Amino acid sequence: MVVLNKKAFRLPRLEKDKFVLLMRLGLQYDRANGTFCVNSYNNIEKVIDTLGEILNDKNVGFMQSCLICGKDFPCLECRYYEICETKNLPFKCICGRCLEEGKTIGE
Amino acid sequence: MSENLLWVEKYRPKKVANVVGNDEAKAAFIDWFKSKRRTKKAVLLYGPPGVGKTTLVNAAANEFGFTVIEMNASDTRSEKAVRAVAAPATSFVALDTFYKESKGNILFMDEVDGIAGNEDRGGVSALLKIVENARVPVIMAANDPDLQKLRPLKKVCALVRFQQVRIPLIIATLRKICQKEGVEAEFEALEKIAQNSRGDVRSAINDLQSLAETEKTLTLQDTMILSARNKDVGMDEVLREYFSAKSLEEASLLLFRSSVEYDNFIMAVGDNLPLRYTDPVELAEAYDFVSQADMFRGRIGTEHWHLLRYFFNDLARAAAVSPQSYKPFTLISPPIRVITLFWTKGKRTTLEKICGKIGQRCHVSRQTAKEDFVPFLKVMLEKQKALPVASWLELAPEEVEFLKKMSKF
Repeated sequence: MVVLNKKAFRLPRLEKDKFVLLMRLGLQYDRANGTFCVNSYNNIEKVIDTLGEILNDKNVGFMQSCLICGKDFPCLECRYYEICETKNLPFKCICGRCLEEGKTIGE
Repeated sequence: MSENLLWVEKYRPKKVANVVGNDEAKAAFIDWFKSKRRTKKAVLLYGPPGVGKTTLVNAAANEFGFTVIEMNASDTRSEKAVRAVAAPATSFVALDTFYKESKGNILFMDEVDGIAGNEDRGGVSALLKIVENARVPVIMAANDPDLQKLRPLKKVCALVRFQQVRIPLIIATLRKICQKEGVEAEFEALEKIAQNSRGDVRSAINDLQSLAETEKTLTLQDTMILSARNKDVGMDEVLREYFSAKSLEEASLLLFRSSVEYDNFIMAVGDNLPLRYTDPVELAEAYDFVSQADMFRGRIGTEHWHLLRYFFNDLARAAAVSPQSYKPFTLISPPIRVITLFWTKGKRTTLEKICGKIGQRCHVSRQTAKEDFVPFLKVMLEKQKALPVASWLELAPEEVEFLKKMSKF
């Protein structure tokens, strides 16, 4: 599985068509740093499918950040990964550790 | 007062930051809301029920000092009604701005995918005009944005998508409520409720309240009732238990646990009451409760689920008018209206087809064809004077026969 950083991630050199498609689907390109980030989330499934084609990996996901402790973690670590129906969005969740420790949001 | 509130209402977030989940959707909505030069005058929030669309709008209005003027599925949203409410709300300064720190109005059209049928005729086109001329934020919410009728609206709206809230977030929310309510809950129990809710925070909180409000403890064992509720229990079984309930409490509990379709259930109760109560006074009393329950069902619509307890209560009272007089009887189920619709489906389809042909030839709607043309055509056919008309309308011989034999329009 490829886990991408939602704030900035790099991709191999793209054909023009793919680049245009990604821009249309809601990615943004930072020319100075050569990185992409997600700007619009309405087509996130298509974004992930396209990224999967580009990276030759069906399992592409974004790093999640914990709403309680603020740490980044991949979805794969979550105990509900298999049954979660919204793996792609949002990019914020609660990490397994905070959940086990019984912490709540806004403590 | 707050003791009697539903927890969903009691813990409804007052600030945007407290709305659980859908962070990207929240950010996109707030960006649009705060923007002074909006490229789109309206926003459409869409996603499954119970994920925080309405809550977010109310929280944003509260936080930024706006007054929400809302129309939802329980209101009639015809062209006239939409104009009457929305046009002044979107074009005039709110009276609130003079006596409190209100920045103006927000027009919130909840469940726009529910605008349908004759009652709401012209509602979508009226909304489009309102959006074009609006001077205040226009916010709409829908569960299914892919409906054909919403296409024109989608073109003029910024779209913000909401998704189911994830299990860990629901667990954390439930845990927070438990702490505030002094409920000792097992993690596994909260997990079970969260999984059972399928991403619907509202239903998860309601489940928690129903299970833990009185005992103040919650174990995994207690949550087994949720599986029982979701079990596909047939209408007959629920009706039988409902009518044989020995007390008001028993009937109430049964209604809470069952997952029957409420509209069909209330119709079936209405059909079976004369068999249950032979005493006219008891029957009248029971019908009175059913009519009150029906009124609450209408008010609940698809949004005001906090009124569900009153619906259940009145329905349970109808079953408990005279528990001692219960004698087993043969149930009428499914409801007579549903059976009638089932049996007449073929006839209705044929009539619709005929009306379609008349409508096409005479340039009228199907409804007009049904009301103004078919009765006369029937008389003409009976007197054998309408065969040229029938062939001009391209009616098939069986359709001509159908019209001749029809007794009621």
